[in-house]
Amino acid sequence: MHMADALVAPAVAGTMYVLSAGAASVSVKKVREENDPKKIPVMGVMGAFVFATQMLNFTIPGTGSSGHLCGGMMLSAMLGPYAGFLTMIGVLLVQCLLFADGGLLALGCNIWNMAFYGCFVGALLIWRPIMKKGASRVKILLASILGCVLTLQMGAFSVSLETMISGITELPFSVFVATMQPIHLAIGFVEGLITAAVLIFVHEARPELLWGVGQSETPVKEGKLSFKNTIVVIAILAALAGGIVSLFASAFPDGLEWSMEQVAGTAELEAAGGAYDTATAIQDATSLLPDYAFKNSESAVGTSFSGIVGALVVVAITVGACYAFRFFKSKKKEEQVA
Amino acid sequence: MSSIEKNIRELDKLQNLQQRSHWMNSLHPLGKLLLSIFYIFVTVSFDKYSLAPLIVMAIYPLFGFIVGELSFKEGIYRMRLILPLVIFVGIFNPFFDKRIILEVAGIGISGGVISMLTLMLKGFYSVLSAYILIATTSIDDICYALRILRVPKQIVIVIMLIYRYFGVMAAEADRITTAYKLRAPKQNGIHYKAWGTLVGQWLLRSMDRAEDVYESMLLRGFTGDFSMRKHKTAATDILYPAIWGLIFLVIRFFLIKIL
Amino acid sequence: MQTGISGEILKIENLSFSYEKTQQVLKDINLTAVDGESIGIIGANGIGKTTLMKLLVGLYTDYQGTLEVAGHQVNKKNLAHIREHIGYVFQDSDSQLFLSTIEDDVAFGPRNYGLSEEEVEKRVTEALEKVHISELRNKQTYKLSGGEKKLASIATILSMKPDIIIMDEPSIALDPRNRRNLIKILNEIDSLKIITSHDLDFILDTCERCLLLDEGRIIADGGSREILMDKELLEAHGLELPLSAGRMS
Repeated sequence: MHMADALVAPAVAGTMYVLSAGAASVSVKKVREENDPKKIPVMGVMGAFVFATQMLNFTIPGTGSSGHLCGGMMLSAMLGPYAGFLTMIGVLLVQCLLFADGGLLALGCNIWNMAFYGCFVGALLIWRPIMKKGASRVKILLASILGCVLTLQMGAFSVSLETMISGITELPFSVFVATMQPIHLAIGFVEGLITAAVLIFVHEARPELLWGVGQSETPVKEGKLSFKNTIVVIAILAALAGGIVSLFASAFPDGLEWSMEQVAGTAELEAAGGAYDTATAIQDATSLLPDYAFKNSESAVGTSFSGIVGALVVVAITVGACYAFRFFKSKKKEEQVA
Repeated sequence: MSSIEKNIRELDKLQNLQQRSHWMNSLHPLGKLLLSIFYIFVTVSFDKYSLAPLIVMAIYPLFGFIVGELSFKEGIYRMRLILPLVIFVGIFNPFFDKRIILEVAGIGISGGVISMLTLMLKGFYSVLSAYILIATTSIDDICYALRILRVPKQIVIVIMLIYRYFGVMAAEADRITTAYKLRAPKQNGIHYKAWGTLVGQWLLRSMDRAEDVYESMLLRGFTGDFSMRKHKTAATDILYPAIWGLIFLVIRFFLIKIL
Repeated sequence: MQTGISGEILKIENLSFSYEKTQQVLKDINLTAVDGESIGIIGANGIGKTTLMKLLVGLYTDYQGTLEVAGHQVNKKNLAHIREHIGYVFQDSDSQLFLSTIEDDVAFGPRNYGLSEEEVEKRVTEALEKVHISELRNKQTYKLSGGEKKLASIATILSMKPDIIIMDEPSIALDPRNRRNLIKILNEIDSLKIITSHDLDFILDTCERCLLLDEGRIIADGGSREILMDKELLEAHGLELPLSAGRMS
């Protein structure tokens, strides 16, 4: 589900960076308030652990395929949502740098799609309420499956939404969503089962390691909901709304748009619908480099045949120059050595 | 070779590259990080039909790979993880967008084909440029740059630790799966009955390790922060990214009108 | 064997400790040690060796009795001070070396104590020289062999110039050559060393003095040779004679 840089427009990438950075700054503040110096090394080692477990294959009974562990849910059940979220940021960044899983520019999106939902929605809205009166096998199973399925649905829906708003694909939004959601429904279910198995083991061996068990909601000072907290609450509500919409979208993929006419491309591209229009409007309004979109013109910028030939010539010259540069540089080096 | 071993080898190769004595490696990490992000930013900002200027944008990854003496094969191999989604998103464009917007020798090429091509190019460029960054800059150096950018120390230290312990954990994962496979030769993954105990025990061991790591830090005066070695700044550290940045802007705003 | 009073770096009197009230891990430990000594602590699994070590470095402070390191009582207030005097080499080098390069890891302690960059530089160079791994300075930790990691771990402690170095099972997982090398290097280090090990030959080669622990008490305290040759004593406490004992008697 990692998004690539190519799938996001700068405005979308920027927006998601800002949202993720907001959630991160709240988390940093919370972790700092806990004032537990041990938390940092535990976060680091657990992050590496989750990163490594993603490489294990778990056989899914009755099928030939295999599944993986759900990092966000796992980490927040062990560390709490805030430390879990910061750890996931680390995991996603290292994954992106070392293995090109996701992209540098899309990192904001990936943090939001995977870490935000997994940690905040998963831990605060699902895990903690269920574990309020203590944990049990059944409760852990329920929370893990529910958490993984729901947060993955939200994540998948966000991927579709971000790609659409970026104006990358001609695929109708509904088709995109109808493909993404069911796949991730299955993935979420399996990840939930695997995550539950591990957490049940922890619960039985070292129950004190699980976060938020037997904890009631943290008392909120009345009438003193800070600006940051308000934003978090709003963000969570928005995420929930998105999740519900996505559930509907996957349950009832718009029949009209599935029709052959659509696939044949005879119908209008307005399939993407209102969401796309609004999105373009938002993008136009917020775009950092506003004057590139060729709005009503039919002639595309930079798509003439001669232009492409010219471009190739430039590239060829550069390649030649680079090799020449390298040649002379190494020659100089040899001379220095000699 | 298992996928875990492949990952470990990839990590090995990257670390070897980061240790080379090449002038690109010794550039200031902040400049390289910002340059990479800016390059990707400019690349994805091109319109989906702007094929010609996007082709010119290849000069940066080409320069990085040729002058930086990196292997194109390795760089392209790194596409494998993001490629499926990119292809899924782009492959349908030719079916939906059939307006002819370019004619080559009398053959019309539709907007969908062009937009699919630009999407693929964007995908390639971003992966290649990120590879140039990580092949010449260690994660520690990137963390140093992040600290300059005021990323909170809690996040940066966690990143450093994840990176340090990923290798250790991956080796453990490899041992665990090998030991498991040797006793369950007919399975291609871990049986569901072992999910909890196998990973759970590993998790508890990892928690114990975290405890040791914490104590080891504490005993050497850890008070919540890592002080880092400082990098000196030379003129090239500023000039190199600045010149490239300028070239990107020229392509983005001037060349686009000519081509 | 009781050592003299002058130059006393470590002083333990009537030390008792328990994790929970029910079961006492350490009972009435008495021990003094002077500069330059090397003391081996032996005993079967789970009799409190690691607990004793962790008490010395102040990882647990809720003990009964007296525990003084370099003239300072080990308590919460003194911790920062105590830890400048005492270093701990963990059994698993991967837990000890938590930074990506050896140089940064060896510099971690000195930097935290606020030394100038030149002084840090000097300390790192010296520490690496002492364990003969100067050439590994810029290496990535992940790439080192087990033996190299162990030496690097010791360097991370030496760079803080501690009066006391504590080592938990230093010879574990080392091949014979690395083990021999480690013995040589440890014998060159002149701080007070306290080493726990199940490798009794290793203790014999590195420590003049030896403590035998069982059920949380010091059963014997004396010259390594005397204790490690005492077959009956060792076997009564779940240990066996070191391999080289046969050769020496």
